[in-house]
Parts: sequence; C-alpha cells; structure tokens
Amino acid sequence: MDAFERRVGPGSALSDAVDQILRACQDMAGRFRQGGKLIVFGNGGSATDAQHVAVEFVHPVIVGKPALPALSLTNDAAMVTGIARTEGLDDIFAAQLRLLASPDDIAVGISAAGDCANVLRGLDTARELGLLTVALFGGAEPRQTAADHLLVARSADPLIVKEVHVTIYHLLWELTHVYLEQPSAVAR
Amino acid sequence: MSEPGLETLYPFLYADTGPDCHDHLRRSTQDKIAEIITLRQELAGVYGQRLAACAYDMATAFDHGARLFTFGNGGSSTDAQDVAQTFAHPPAPARPVAAISLAQDVAVLTALSNDVGYDRVFARQLAALGRHGDVAVGLSTSGGSPNVLNAMAEARRLGMLTVGFVGYDGGKMAQDDLVDHLFVVPSTSVHRIQEAQTTLYHVLWELTQTRGDGS
Repeated sequence: MDAFERRVGPGSALSDAVDQILRACQDMAGRFRQGGKLIVFGNGGSATDAQHVAVEFVHPVIVGKPALPALSLTNDAAMVTGIARTEGLDDIFAAQLRLLASPDDIAVGISAAGDCANVLRGLDTARELGLLTVALFGGAEPRQTAADHLLVARSADPLIVKEVHVTIYHLLWELTHVYLEQPSAVAR
Repeated sequence: MSEPGLETLYPFLYADTGPDCHDHLRRSTQDKIAEIITLRQELAGVYGQRLAACAYDMATAFDHGARLFTFGNGGSSTDAQDVAQTFAHPPAPARPVAAISLAQDVAVLTALSNDVGYDRVFARQLAALGRHGDVAVGLSTSGGSPNVLNAMAEARRLGMLTVGFVGYDGGKMAQDDLVDHLFVVPSTSVHRIQEAQTTLYHVLWELTQTRGDGS
C-alpha cells in the first residue's frame, strides 16, 4: 500500500542521525545529573508529543528506571489561552519558560513543520536562560535554529514527521538513561 | 506492562565500558530504527485491507453525522488526542470531523475518578456523550486497560462503531472480541508498538479521505 511505502524513506533516513541523537542524550544526561529538569513544548500534533515526552520521563516504561523530572507546557488551557490573549500566541512557551525554567534545565521544542514561531521563540528564550536546547523539527526545509541539538525528520508530510519524532523521543529517553547509568560511554 | 531492563537491552554496557562501547550503542540504536521500519512493512501486509475496510465504515458513519470519541492512558492518551486532532483539524483540504478526546477534560476525569472509579472514566463519558452511529477509537498497548475495555463495551451497547489499537498479542480486547475493527501490533516493545500504532491511525485517517481506496 502506497501509504506505507511513503514512510520507508523518512524512517530509514533516521539512521544518518544516530550520532546526533547519541550526543544529545549524553548532554541531556549531564543536565539531569546536575539536577536539571526537562521542559517540552509544541503545537497541535506536536503538543501531544510534548505530553508524551513528559510522561515518558516521569513514568518510565521499564520498571526500576528512575523517574526523571519533566513537564510539558501545553497541558493547562487556562495558562496557554491567558498568555495568548495578552502576549500573543507566539509567546505562550517563552513566557512559561521565563517563570519555570532554571539554567540547568533542558528545553525540547517540537515543530513538525519546522517553522512554528512560538517554538522558535521558546528555544531562543531557553538558550538565553542557559538551558540545553534540543529542537525536534520536520519539514522539507526546516528553519535554522540556534538550538544546541537539531534533530530533523525530513518529510513534507506532517503525519510522517510525527511518526519519526515518536521514534526519536523514545530513543532520547532510552539512551539518556544509558548515559546516566554509564557516564563512561562517551558519544562522538 | 514492563519491558526488560537496560542490562538485558544493552549487555555490552555492563560487560565492557571500553572504547567499543560507542560503536555498540550506535549499532543497537540503528537496529531499533530498522526494527520499526520492518514492523511497519509487516503491518502493511497484514492490515492494509482491514484498514481500508475500517476507513470505509468510518467515512460512511461521518457522512451520516457521526462524531468521533478517542481514549487511552498515558502515552496512549496522547495518541488518542492526536487521533482526535488529526480528524478535527486535518491538513488542508481535508474535511474536519467533530472529534473529542476523552482524557482532555481534567475536571471530568478527576470527578469521575474520585466519585465512580478510574475504570469507568471513559465509559461514563460515552454514556453521556455518545449516540448510536458514533465512532469510538480506543488505544491500549497491552490491550488490557480496564477503562478502555469498559468504554468499548459501553460503545457497543450504544451501537457505536468500535475501533481498537493494541499491542503484544492483543490482550483481553482481542480475546473478548470487543471491537468491530481491531489492529494488533505484534511486538513486545511498548515503544515500537506506539510508533507502529501512530502509523496505523495516520494511514487510517488518510484512507477515510478516499473512503478506503488506498491504491
């Protein structure tokens, strides 16, 4: 079926990003070791991913793995719509980061199209505050970002991008735990 | 449902922390990426026609004014939310469908959990909101989440079209033949199951746009 065939290329391309994923996980483990927490954000389908990432870290699927501190910025409709009304939609993540983030934290911004203004602004703000920044972007031509780690799912179809993102953040969770347990496993 | 520990998944980390470690980690990560690609291809063969049949039934229901209700727990609740928002706010020029994700209203969820019990949080909402001919989509990696199973039984009672996405061997949802269209992802990894389920419900949405014609 054509719908499944269209997913093979973007899925396979992820193999080329393995070293980038390993480096991101090593840095994330470093932040958790310093006492940092993970803050995740995105719009639409990527908002559901932000919540999935948060629950992945807080409530590990492997019994016995430690819970790690994580929260997503899209859960509270009163907060999000309140900020959107006064500051505008582009500020909904940056405004919450300015209140909640500490310099040791990690910011993960997810944008399937790779051009969401509020995600880009959130990542910029996080970087200014000293956070480790990870951009999970997609699209044929994702926007440039100053994030420390840029992980891209290359497809013009936002649904296929999301599917690759799910694999990426499952790997981020699993490999972050590997680096937390085995600091000697150095990424290159 | 639990997965094997990291010691089982990454034995080389515990036997060897020398310079080879990075290469092992790299290879095991690439294996996982290959695994999900293979799994998707297997599912295309097993479920291609059944997804098309399910899409035809859903499109027919929507033509008759059906609303879509979605539900799941934890990571699956975020998938339920993604199913709802994909149908309600699809990429242009697709037609939007009235869709509600039942884990999103925290007031309702906490009220029902507190007063009735967590096992009934989705069933009670369907009893209140659902109508004959509506569509219920439930996700459970184990196939055994009591609140998802109870919701499916309630949806059946109301005369809704029922669609289930589960993992492993299908669990109780498969054993009890609770749904009209059941999609089982035969993997023992919660992560790969969720990744494959995301593809299955995205392809299902695509197919509803052509009433099941996937050629």
